[in-house]
This record gives sequence, C-alpha cells and structure tokens, in this order.
Amino acid sequence: MNPLKIITCILCLLLFMPFFAVAQHAGLAIPDITGVWERAKDPTAPASQQAQLKAEYFKEKQRLVQAQSEANANGMPLATRLMQCQGDGMPGMMGGPFPMEIIQSKGQITIIQEAYTQVRRIYLDKAQKALDDIEPSFFGHAVGRWDKGVLLVETIGIKPEVMYQNMPHSEQMRIKERIYFATHEILRDEITIEDPVVLEKPWTFTMSYKRMPDYQMLEYICEGNRYFVDEKGQQRMLSNDAIK
Amino acid sequence: MNVLKDKIIWVLLSLCIANATLAHHSFAVYDSSRSVTLKGVVTKWQWTNPHAYLELDVQDATGAAHHYVLEGTSINIMIRGGWRSNMIKVGDQVTAVAAPTLSGDQTGLLLEATLANGQKVEMPIPAGYIFKRTP
Repeated sequence: MNPLKIITCILCLLLFMPFFAVAQHAGLAIPDITGVWERAKDPTAPASQQAQLKAEYFKEKQRLVQAQSEANANGMPLATRLMQCQGDGMPGMMGGPFPMEIIQSKGQITIIQEAYTQVRRIYLDKAQKALDDIEPSFFGHAVGRWDKGVLLVETIGIKPEVMYQNMPHSEQMRIKERIYFATHEILRDEITIEDPVVLEKPWTFTMSYKRMPDYQMLEYICEGNRYFVDEKGQQRMLSNDAIK
Repeated sequence: MNVLKDKIIWVLLSLCIANATLAHHSFAVYDSSRSVTLKGVVTKWQWTNPHAYLELDVQDATGAAHHYVLEGTSINIMIRGGWRSNMIKVGDQVTAVAAPTLSGDQTGLLLEATLANGQKVEMPIPAGYIFKRTP
C-alpha cells in the first residue's frame, strides 16, 4: 500500500477513535461505571445555567448571601451545616471535591462520597414513591433505569434545609439526572432541578468525572470537630481550655 | 438596568460564597493578606477529620512561651497531598507558616511546615492560593 495512504488511515483512526470509544460505551445497555471518580474538566459539556428563582425566593437567597458576605468580611462567618459535619446531601454530594465511589450491584447503584462518608442509593427499575410515603432526608429517595447507555435517575424527598449553593427549595423539588459517558474517560452527570414552587423554570447544570484507577477510598469520620454554632448563629472554634 | 446590576452582584457574591464553602467551614476567619512564621515545639498533633490541628509552644525574645493553635485541612486531602500522621510527634521542633486569625487570637491556618527532619510540606488547602505568604 502507498505509504501516504497508510499514514492517512492512521490519522483518520486517531481522529475518530474518541467517537468510536463513546459509541462503544453508548452502545452498551449497561456501561461499567463502577469505580472511584473525581471531578474533571469537561470542555464539551453543555453550559451550566444559573438558577432562575421566583422573586420572593430570589430575595430570600439574596438576603442569605448578603448576610454571609458581611459576616465573612467581619471575620465572623455564619455557621453552616457542613461546619457541623452534616454533609452536603443531594445534589451537593455529587460535586466533590473529594473522591466518589460508584458501585453497581443487582437492582441498585450505590454512590459513596468520601467527604463525610455520604451514601446514596439509587434503586433500579422501581417505581418512584409518592411524596407522602417518603420521610424527607439528606439524599432523598432515588430510582433509576438504564436507557441506551444513559442512567436516568429521579430523586425526591430532600429536606428543605439541605440546600445546594444556598438555593432554597420546596418539598416538590425533583432532581433528575442523566449519567453517561461523554467520552471514553469522562463520566457526565447532567442534573436538572425541577421545583415549580421556587424556580421559574427547571435548572440544569453538569458535573463531570474521571476515574481514579488506583485510588482506595479513605474513611472520613468527623471525630475532631473544634467548631460549634454560637448563640448568634456564627461559626466559632472551641477554646484551648475546652479542648483540654 | 438596576435589576441586571443586582443579579450580576448576586452571582458574583454566590461564587465567592461557593468558593468559601469548599471546605468544612469558612476560612474567612483567617487573614489572607499576610502570613506569620512560628518556630516552636509541638505540644499536640491532632490527626482527625474534619480538620487536623497542630499546637505549638513558641518562645518570644524574652523567653516567654506562647501557645499557638494552627488548623490544617481534612486529613483525607492531606494524605492525598503526601502527608502522614507519623510525620509529626509531640516534642518535635517545627517551623510553621500560617495565616493568622483576624481576631488576633493565637490561632491560624497552617499553610506550610518545616518538620524536625528538615522536610518542608505544604498544606493542600482547597483554594489555598488566596492566602498570601509575607516575610
């Protein structure tokens, strides 16, 4: 064969290899997403939107952000749930910045966020429960199914006080996710928050991950928290005397 | 126009808050504009989550001892950054660079440490670049 043709063939192969890889993943009814993942850059991801809150909730969030900003400027930050070692809940736990382990088992996908040892269970091929049958919680009740290589998940029943990026939400919030391989290496989670009470329209943003092939998850126990909430709702560190 | 301006300010503020809360708690208690260098003897080395703590007794020029409490980050992040619990022991002489607390307490955010064996280790604080090192 003409050497020029061989080089052209190799270049074409290299150029289209990522598409073959994606096609290979997408073609699988159930791709292998088991493993440890960390947040990754994903330049081809759909642009994340800003949430459009209804006027009263926009003002509520503005007040909170302003209060936090002023408290930070005074060196006396407001207390948060994370500061009290309560974890992010959904959807914050999908955002890292710690590693996250996904385990696929029969009828269930389990996601463990290393920070605060947060565990989320997605029940596969089950009907979603009615809101009245769910006790509000940090991670809610999640059901999912595979559709042509895309894991479709719906989560409801998140406690109102479990807020992502200071965003208020109602009991009617539904978190819908599309989890799929964007490339051979990038796992993408397109998250859409639906909340007809609080949001003007559904809010979509993306989180992307790459594998940590050799990483073994570490334990995370909040055993040495020196912070507490004072009577003004501010973050305070225990005094040396209290530690002793 | 004012609505647009408000929204832009709100978005910027949100981003600042989001950055500030990447960690277990806000680091706004610490002065990011300067650092202090403390040479002292380790009295306590707390290797825990959510954060590690290094306590030092530092002698001033008159010989008086001052107790400092320096906060690190999550030990999980520290392990991924190369730290180990056995790197520091009570009684070790260490030199610490820290961002002091704005309140003036003898506490601070540990930015780097030179250990008893001369090894220098950086604290892998998320967004730690905002903390300036000053002489």
